[in-house]
Amino acid sequence: MTSDTLTGTTAAGPARERSRSRAGRPPRRRRPTTWRSFIPWMFLAPGLLLGLIFKFYPMFEGFRMSTAKVQPFLGDIYVGLDNYTRVLGDERFRDALGHTIILGLTQTVGALVLGALLALLLEGQARRIWFVRTAVFLPVVTALAVVGELWRILYFPTESGFLNQVLGFLGIPPQEFLSDPSTALGYIAVVGIWTGAPYNMVIILAGLTGIDRSLYESAAIDGVSVKQRLRYIVLPALRPAISVVLTLAAIRSLRTFTEVYVLTGGGPAGSTEVWMTRVYSLGFQANDLGVASAASVLLLLATLGLTVLVRTLTTRKGKS
Amino acid sequence: MTLIPAKRRERPAAANTQFDSALGWRPGFTVSNVVRFVLCALAVTVFAVPFLTIISGAFDANADSTSLSVYPVSPSLEPMQVATEKGVWGYFANSLVIVGGGLVLQIAVSILAAYALARHRFRGQSIVLMLFLLTMMLPEEVIAVPLAQVIGDIPLLGLNLRGTPFGVILPVAVWGFSILLLTEFMKEIPDEIEEAARLDGVGELRMLWQIILPLCTPVIGVVTIFGFMMIWDQYLLPLIAADSPDDYTLTVALSILRVDAQVGTGVLLVGALLALLPSLIIYLLMQKSLIRGITSGATKG
Amino acid sequence: MKNTMRPRRFVGLAIAAGLVVSVAACSSESGEDTSGSSGEQSLEVWTRSAAESAASYQMVFDAFTEKTGVEIDYQPVQEFDTQLQARASQKDLPDVLINDASSLGNYVAQGFVLPIDRESIEGEGDISDETWEQNVGLDGETYGIPWSRQANVTIIRKDWRENLGLEIPTNWEELASLGEAFATQDPDGNGQADTYGMVVPGSAKSGYIARWGNSYLWQAGAEILEADGDGYYTSAIDSPEAEEGMTYIRDLFCTPGVVVPGSVNLTTGETPFFGQGTAGIYLTGPYNISSFDTLLGAENVEVIPMPEGPESNTTFAEGENIYFGASSEKADLQKQLAEFLVTQEAQEIAMKVETNEAGVTSQPVVRLPVNENVDVAAVTGDDRWAIVAEDYANDSKTFPWNIDFNSFRQILADGMNAMVADCSSDIPAGLASIDEQFQAQLEAMDLVK
Repeated sequence: MTSDTLTGTTAAGPARERSRSRAGRPPRRRRPTTWRSFIPWMFLAPGLLLGLIFKFYPMFEGFRMSTAKVQPFLGDIYVGLDNYTRVLGDERFRDALGHTIILGLTQTVGALVLGALLALLLEGQARRIWFVRTAVFLPVVTALAVVGELWRILYFPTESGFLNQVLGFLGIPPQEFLSDPSTALGYIAVVGIWTGAPYNMVIILAGLTGIDRSLYESAAIDGVSVKQRLRYIVLPALRPAISVVLTLAAIRSLRTFTEVYVLTGGGPAGSTEVWMTRVYSLGFQANDLGVASAASVLLLLATLGLTVLVRTLTTRKGKS
Repeated sequence: MTLIPAKRRERPAAANTQFDSALGWRPGFTVSNVVRFVLCALAVTVFAVPFLTIISGAFDANADSTSLSVYPVSPSLEPMQVATEKGVWGYFANSLVIVGGGLVLQIAVSILAAYALARHRFRGQSIVLMLFLLTMMLPEEVIAVPLAQVIGDIPLLGLNLRGTPFGVILPVAVWGFSILLLTEFMKEIPDEIEEAARLDGVGELRMLWQIILPLCTPVIGVVTIFGFMMIWDQYLLPLIAADSPDDYTLTVALSILRVDAQVGTGVLLVGALLALLPSLIIYLLMQKSLIRGITSGATKG
Repeated sequence: MKNTMRPRRFVGLAIAAGLVVSVAACSSESGEDTSGSSGEQSLEVWTRSAAESAASYQMVFDAFTEKTGVEIDYQPVQEFDTQLQARASQKDLPDVLINDASSLGNYVAQGFVLPIDRESIEGEGDISDETWEQNVGLDGETYGIPWSRQANVTIIRKDWRENLGLEIPTNWEELASLGEAFATQDPDGNGQADTYGMVVPGSAKSGYIARWGNSYLWQAGAEILEADGDGYYTSAIDSPEAEEGMTYIRDLFCTPGVVVPGSVNLTTGETPFFGQGTAGIYLTGPYNISSFDTLLGAENVEVIPMPEGPESNTTFAEGENIYFGASSEKADLQKQLAEFLVTQEAQEIAMKVETNEAGVTSQPVVRLPVNENVDVAAVTGDDRWAIVAEDYANDSKTFPWNIDFNSFRQILADGMNAMVADCSSDIPAGLASIDEQFQAQLEAMDLVK
């Protein structure tokens, strides 16, 4: 985020600002009156107040629990960093971290690319397109548990399984899919991309819609090819959309859970165990909220770091 | 629906439509349109056919979770009747109440916050946005117990929201995603538009309501869709905010049906179908905002 | 006490309503009804139940209220443990909890439940000493009154078996070959290879595979944890017997068709194969019998005596207990309810299958009665339940209840899942790894002498 670093510049008046304004930058308007500096906070107040009660306080409690042996009824006992040492000393957490990163990267890149392609393909007003756009969105509105059920059937690991029949038609031998520890993670990523791509498509469509059409027109007059149009007009204009998609990916991919949980539950042989499934079995199922909180706080710190990184990168990209 | 062809006829000529999309799709029988058609067919197959199996299973007396069928083998309303006996409509109503209130509140809160974050400059701006994003980073299971405490006894006010829709509505009102999305897109609105309005003496609220918001319709559409789904899919929160099973939402009820051995696959799919229909309807309604309307060019800088 | 809160709640609702633009009116009623059971003469009771078993509990509680005038504020709760922790943090536990006997160790450690003076419970003599002793905690006190017991049984598609002209399997080899026959010989005669042998929830999630497979480990003569008295345990999993049991389980998975393909990732909720006529053998809890009867016809659902392993025909037993919430001040009412629940009358009501006004058919919540005067076969009118009772009485075993066994169950399940996922896995090494993790966990929980 660059906005804060610019607070010091006071020289620019409104007139000069006009010429400097550009995609990705908030307007810099400063009045010396103190009550004006109050205004943003009034707009933020409802969100901050509700957030304080229903998010930040419980989160603070989560931090506290991570340093305690949690006993809701008897009272928690402070144990310092014991929970953290348990998590960091757990070999399977380390394996899970590796799987989480692989899965997160694959799904993020796959869903972003496929989502962008879908958005480009399905942009337009014709009614047929409207129908296709709706059809493609179906995976997003379907409950993940049902998605899991569907894909388990598609992935049925015998010759009679649906996907194996398709593969057989193409001359590929039957696959074990989720039952084979060496391939299970990849097939989970496929499901993640399948649900994630239409999600991204919608965000990118919103970005495409916002592009000023007169730019296309003047580019056409200048004889610019479609490829150049994508490179020099569309891509820069999609910056906010891509920034949102990547920020979301940064926040979500490390805590990916539901797809894995409904498809394999972390198996076979722990080959699809991700950070959150490990938190789930070690913390919530074994009733150890302290360890679960510690592992979650570590996750939060990693997510925070990644998010700041992504925000810095995508914001800078917009400036250049 | 009948409006669309009419509108299309009004369009002067094909010449204009190539500026409707980034790839410059235009009507007519061209190679690129054939390719596009094939790709669309492929996309529909990959993304939508599984959905047909849900519909077919929901109306099949002997739905079987081990094989797929895109049409009901023994068509029947029985799963629907069983689902009705299980009270899914009551849960459906609970879900509607919660999603209605939660979504309105969430969008209002997010628009206000995003306006401050995108169109104002103040100390701590980036930290505030990060704080909102932070709320998405801790697994809800970790905060379930303290959150249940808060819902049962709001600090200072001493209210007990348990058993009321507010126990779910208020906690879902703050969602980092909506705030982030609105902030990012509001930032894109050129300063000149705001400047001009300011010179006309437009105040903050009118600025937001009459100048900024109309330029944000596509993104508000997106926020509505995803906000709706996020609230609709809540599982743990309605559970801890419930006072009795009568307060459960459809999503919670679905997970109960799932582990119920007496309930066949068909009934589960009826639940799944009911669960996805509202999201789908919202998506259909909001698609309009994702399509270039007559306002095109309004954001011209 | 809760009644005094109400005016405040309404004020609260009014304020909250002001915050929100829409949705107001219908909310105010839903908040008040459940806490409304008035006065001192009421008990809040929680069970982990879906609608069908809740209907069964409701019949029992109605009988209790009719008899004593004590109202029951009955809450069938989903996500029992999360909800319980939420309530515990408010120091307001339900008066009575009816839940898994295996939660005993955890509940005691968390201080959720009160010890019980067995002698003071009227009718305690109707429950066998053995059953009572299962409820003794690490500190030697009794926690929770036994309510229901059950043992896993082997259920078979009788029509399939008879179609193929095969006998009831009596040992491991016959069981495995019946599974293979179901997979390869088209037992449903539809001309398609669409049937399989065994239903197995093979996922490690929530310890499913351990709950299914430990019976076979025990039948091979293996042990999981060994109690050395005084509440201490040692790991016993790294043994030749366990290797034999694990090898048998893996062979089931690795012989095509014996186990439904893909089972290594599935939980019980995801394995409806028996009821759907996809597979014909299921080692599971007897509470499933009634649903299978509905789906397949009772004449096709057969319960067989546990096939004999190399060492025994031990089967996995579980149960439910009646626990007294620690924050309750209604000791007399708690005791009164518990005493009623273990009577012959209450146990028999809870074994009945009945359809209530709402159209919900109850699923019995007492599987095997703890009251020795109740005759299962007579009450259910079903000889298959006599086999369940015999399996339970003859040779059944539970996981240790007095410690929080969940983490051990998870370790065991993860290990078993890994061994069956790979048909060339190194079983001794897998067992050694489980053993190592058991040791570490025992030490972490201070259970090593």
